[in-house]
Amino acid sequence: MKPTRDQWLWMYETMVTSRLFEEAIAAAYFEGKTPAFNMANGPIPGEMHLSNGQEPCAVGVCAHLTADDFVTATHRPHHIAIAKGVDLDAMAAEIFGKSTGLSGGRGGHMHIFDARVNFGCSGIIAEGMGPVTGAALAFKLRKQPRVAVSFIGEGAANQGAFHEALNLAALWKVPAVFVIEDNGWGISVAKAQSTAIANNDLRAAAYGIPGHRVADNDPLAIFEVAGEAVARARSGGGPSLIEIETSRLEGHFIGDAQNYRPEGELPALKARDPIPALRDRLLREKVMDQATETALRDRAGAKVAAAIDAARAAAYPQPQEAFEKVFA
Amino acid sequence: MTAATQTKPPGDASASANRSKRNLTIAKAMAEAIGQEMRRDSSVLVMGEDIGRLGGVFGNTRGLIEEFGPERIRDTPISETAFIGAAVGMAAVGMKPIVELMFVDFYGVCMDAIYNLAAKNCYFSGGQVPLPMVIMTSCGGGYSDAGQHSQCLYGTFAHLPGLKVVVPSNAYDAKGLMLAAIRDPNPVIYMFHKALQGMGWLGTVKGAITDVPEDDYVLPIGRAALVRPGRDVTLVGFGNTLHHALDAAADLAGEGIEAEVIDLRSIVPLDRETILASVKRTGRLVVVDDDYQSFGVSAEIIATASEGAFAALKAAPRRVAFPDIPIPFSPALERPLMPDANKVAAAARQVCKGN
Amino acid sequence: MVSVTIPADMWAEDMEGVISAWLFEDGDKVREGDLIAEVMVEKTSYDLTAPAAGILRILVAPDVPFRRGAEVARIE
Repeated sequence: MKPTRDQWLWMYETMVTSRLFEEAIAAAYFEGKTPAFNMANGPIPGEMHLSNGQEPCAVGVCAHLTADDFVTATHRPHHIAIAKGVDLDAMAAEIFGKSTGLSGGRGGHMHIFDARVNFGCSGIIAEGMGPVTGAALAFKLRKQPRVAVSFIGEGAANQGAFHEALNLAALWKVPAVFVIEDNGWGISVAKAQSTAIANNDLRAAAYGIPGHRVADNDPLAIFEVAGEAVARARSGGGPSLIEIETSRLEGHFIGDAQNYRPEGELPALKARDPIPALRDRLLREKVMDQATETALRDRAGAKVAAAIDAARAAAYPQPQEAFEKVFA
Repeated sequence: MTAATQTKPPGDASASANRSKRNLTIAKAMAEAIGQEMRRDSSVLVMGEDIGRLGGVFGNTRGLIEEFGPERIRDTPISETAFIGAAVGMAAVGMKPIVELMFVDFYGVCMDAIYNLAAKNCYFSGGQVPLPMVIMTSCGGGYSDAGQHSQCLYGTFAHLPGLKVVVPSNAYDAKGLMLAAIRDPNPVIYMFHKALQGMGWLGTVKGAITDVPEDDYVLPIGRAALVRPGRDVTLVGFGNTLHHALDAAADLAGEGIEAEVIDLRSIVPLDRETILASVKRTGRLVVVDDDYQSFGVSAEIIATASEGAFAALKAAPRRVAFPDIPIPFSPALERPLMPDANKVAAAARQVCKGN
Repeated sequence: MVSVTIPADMWAEDMEGVISAWLFEDGDKVREGDLIAEVMVEKTSYDLTAPAAGILRILVAPDVPFRRGAEVARIE
């Protein structure tokens, strides 16, 4: 199943929005942190894990999802949140720690939650897979046509929760999809140094579920494989595992010097940046013309700028608000 | 606010007379201790995430893989249950593994290997199979890393029998405690606070950078240090909070209140003797703990004072701790709630007024 | 008197660095080869060692930016 023109345009615009957002966040992140990089300083303190290069994974999968579908993501969540329809203004405000943020500043960048679109994320590797298994089970028990999707990195495939969740999801045949964004690196450790087999889609066989590997960060291939997996889940066919070869164009966190990356790897990846690649493809195949591309890009830019501006202008929460929402 | 008094390492006078001073960060002191012991003892090795080529996210294994190679400085997959469980097995057959749990907050995924295996092996085996292993782990917040990357969790580990728990407040202690931990035939949880570590990408408390002798020395696990004598009130701190206590003591001295400051150095075994001796002298106690307030180390120290020095107490003990809430991300929420020297000094003034 | 300068090749690009920590104080005695400071460039840390023995005189405070080649201390 190929994307419709609308789906292509949505995917492209969402990828652009995501990238512009990451660039704006990065610029704000560096404020107050040069030349002495103290992570605690500036309007966005703490850690920051950017998704530049991984946008195709988010759009190729989320193109098949609705607001009712449940998604968990990781410490690198922005592109997935955007593709899932998380409120961009409230997300930006959350990242800036403001009272207008999704959680009033309690969560921050690694703990983005938007219940309207059933999105949440956690910073502990592989721990989002259990909740997806459970949400999927709930959908099945209630006979709802909803699916649950877990986004993880390839490093998570070596964590206990990965194996337990896949077995349980398979055993109970729940409407789930597990998506591995394989960017080849677990901080400084390359996949080949951490994983006993070449690719994690092979691990699906251990749990009796379909496994697919998508090469080359290709949005079309991701769209097709994800479409099948989501359709299978929705129609009662049970869970699937997808591993997508993607690229992490920035460091693990902002400030990561990446001295562990082989020489030439980053420039080669940047030369194959998925956004200009998709733009060129869509222009070439006349899915969009330059005027459309410009309009989409301008719209994305305006949306991002508005979100960042609003976030900066918003008020910080009061200290006593820290004591609220511990319990319902 | 006056600057912290740099914690001076108690030194052997004759040795220190001839050597020149050399300051290290806690990160470097840990790496030096591990390297020195690895040279001495071929059964010691290090495992953990990013501890090889990267030298550890917190710099505590820098330079080691270049000297000892990837077999003994072993990067692991993100598989804490497996590699900490593996450390249990290695220790059971006579090796001395040092494993890193990158952030103490990650303990959830591997706690069984720690508290059901490591902590109980010696006991279950009637002493036949002790486990000489070290689990080193980063703790602490205050730099906006949010609820899953900022916790201290001293109480969580201290509560479970069978584990020793050490928390260095400075580089001198860090090296001595690490050497002691590696040589201890028991599992030792070595908790290093990020605000003290000496990573340039995070501010470092100045008092944590201290003179560290190059030679071999151990600090006994289970013994606190009286780092500042005083007659009016006992301030108990450890790790990061030791520096809050020292800063508070400096402020209080200006008001004529002489605070006695104790650096616990170890949480388990807890040096109750030193705490009680001090409380019996001063009659007043303030504990500062940057872990969650309830059900933890601060409560244990106050209970100890209540049980063992009740008659000496002139006022109800007080504690300064982080509140019982998940650690919020926004600096507007997190930072005002953190223990600091001002809060410690305020608590000390209160106990000195007799409540 | 020996100058303590940041080596021209200490880091790759022409970015500014700072001293994140002096491991000795002004006036301390240092030996040749002693680790005297940590230099931070963005998030990477580099070791600065003493080129000679003597008394350290610190010229640049922590967090003050400099480029490669800058003189940050002297040893008398």
